[in-house]
Amino acid sequence: MADYDVIVIGAGTGGLSAGAQLAAQGRKTLVLEQGPRVGGCCSTFEREGFHFDLGASLIESPGLINMAFEQLGTTLKDEVDLIACDPIYTLALKDGTRIPRPLAVDAAAEEIRKIAPDEVSNWYAYIDYMKGFLNAAHEFFLSPTLTANDMARFFINSPEMLKYAPLFACSYQDVIKRFFKDPRVRESLSYQTFFVGLPPELAPGLFAVIPVGEHDGLFYSKGGMIGIPEALRRCGEKAGMELQLNTLVKRVLVRDRRAMGVVLADGAEITADIVVSDVNAKMLYLDLIGEEHLPWLARVGIKSYEYAMSIPMLYLGVDYEPPLASHHTLATVPMEDMNDFWWQTYVPRHFKPDEQFGIISWTSHSDPSLAPEDHHVIVLTLTPAPYHRADGRSWDEIKPEITEQIIAYYDKHYIPGLASHVKVAELATPWDFERNLKTPQGAIYALRQDVTNEAIFRPAARSKSIKGLYLVGASTHPGGGVPTTIASGMIATRLIETYE
Amino acid sequence: MKKSRRILFILGVIAGLLYVGYQQLDDSQKRFVNELARQVPYMIPRYFV
Repeated sequence: MADYDVIVIGAGTGGLSAGAQLAAQGRKTLVLEQGPRVGGCCSTFEREGFHFDLGASLIESPGLINMAFEQLGTTLKDEVDLIACDPIYTLALKDGTRIPRPLAVDAAAEEIRKIAPDEVSNWYAYIDYMKGFLNAAHEFFLSPTLTANDMARFFINSPEMLKYAPLFACSYQDVIKRFFKDPRVRESLSYQTFFVGLPPELAPGLFAVIPVGEHDGLFYSKGGMIGIPEALRRCGEKAGMELQLNTLVKRVLVRDRRAMGVVLADGAEITADIVVSDVNAKMLYLDLIGEEHLPWLARVGIKSYEYAMSIPMLYLGVDYEPPLASHHTLATVPMEDMNDFWWQTYVPRHFKPDEQFGIISWTSHSDPSLAPEDHHVIVLTLTPAPYHRADGRSWDEIKPEITEQIIAYYDKHYIPGLASHVKVAELATPWDFERNLKTPQGAIYALRQDVTNEAIFRPAARSKSIKGLYLVGASTHPGGGVPTTIASGMIATRLIETYE
Repeated sequence: MKKSRRILFILGVIAGLLYVGYQQLDDSQKRFVNELARQVPYMIPRYFV
């Protein structure tokens, strides 16, 4: 008899979502986490009294997250102290224009009217079209999409999806350009393409739904983003889920193409009837399982996936109130500049600390308890960066130098006075993400997300090669992001209910 | 023989239409298509992962 019914490898939001729900079904469940805290990329750590969010900085699609909590007999609002972010962002455009993007669609339209009156009707047309898509595609985010049959069934059950078929065959940029003419309005909708790890001209058009989804509510968790995984952990433990931190899994035990348990770094074996993996699928199949256990076609397939980009973060504790307008500021550039950045900087494996754009999260604006009195926390989500630098220099070696350059850049362009008020500065590079989160190449969205890597072409939630093995997290459907990884936990739970 | 010639003709027409369609795209759209085309051969093996 196995030691556990289920072992979950990794206590990211996907692993905890699955672990908590499986425990609630009465299965003896053990979650093993290699790090010192839960949450993976959605976590919070402390330095000298400042509390910084490690990666994820905002909560989108609260309805989807709430469904996971409802399955645990509670609600998101009961478990997490949510702070609504309104405006969603302040948009800091390249030409110096600052535009708030209020939560209400009508209020956002009024802001657009101030810079481009002709675009107001286009704004409503865009919102209507994308909301229609969001409603039609809602089930897609909770469907297993294992086979072509699943996809066919989804389209048969949601025939209105055919209306949105062009979104799968064009780019994010094409969609935005089709709706809007004004360059500043286009720019104000550009950055969200990096939420799926691709520039506007390469991201599939269906992701142009992201800026619309933000108007359903954008939240921050009081105490830091770790509030979400901690709530899942609490619910899971209440249902009997066991969690072990600082426990690294070295191998998945496989016999006759069936998962039998795991081997820990210290050599100990723990057996289980079912293994759920919340680690990068490429690392799971090639390192933890071994390609000798895979059929040849699956071997070719898993090796063909490209890692998603890594995004360095700069965590700053400051001793003044930064001159920012809201919790989130999006430092944007036009879509063409983002594309140029991709081809001329990111692909040739450069990183330019003095040419930045990204998200400025002033988290202590919403929750002053994150910093000591009269101090503040700012987290900068920087431009994507290569794992291997073209100049061959080590990320560890150049950290102090580029930290200073990035601070100087933000001081000059977005946060005046910053350089002289920094008390704590810590830079997380792709190497740090790999070391600390065991995410290969620091790829926070795990695997690239375009139509050749999505749905039935993404590693399946129920392994097609190894029986009793289930996948959750960013590298399986529906992909990277807090709500989507939590949804992957719901999908795996449903599949286990059906097949095991 | 006649049948295979007809199939070749149809494939030729499709290839021609795709080529003409591709030429109508701007540089940015061409890069989108090129990136997808680069990964299309892997879609079948990926389906089995």
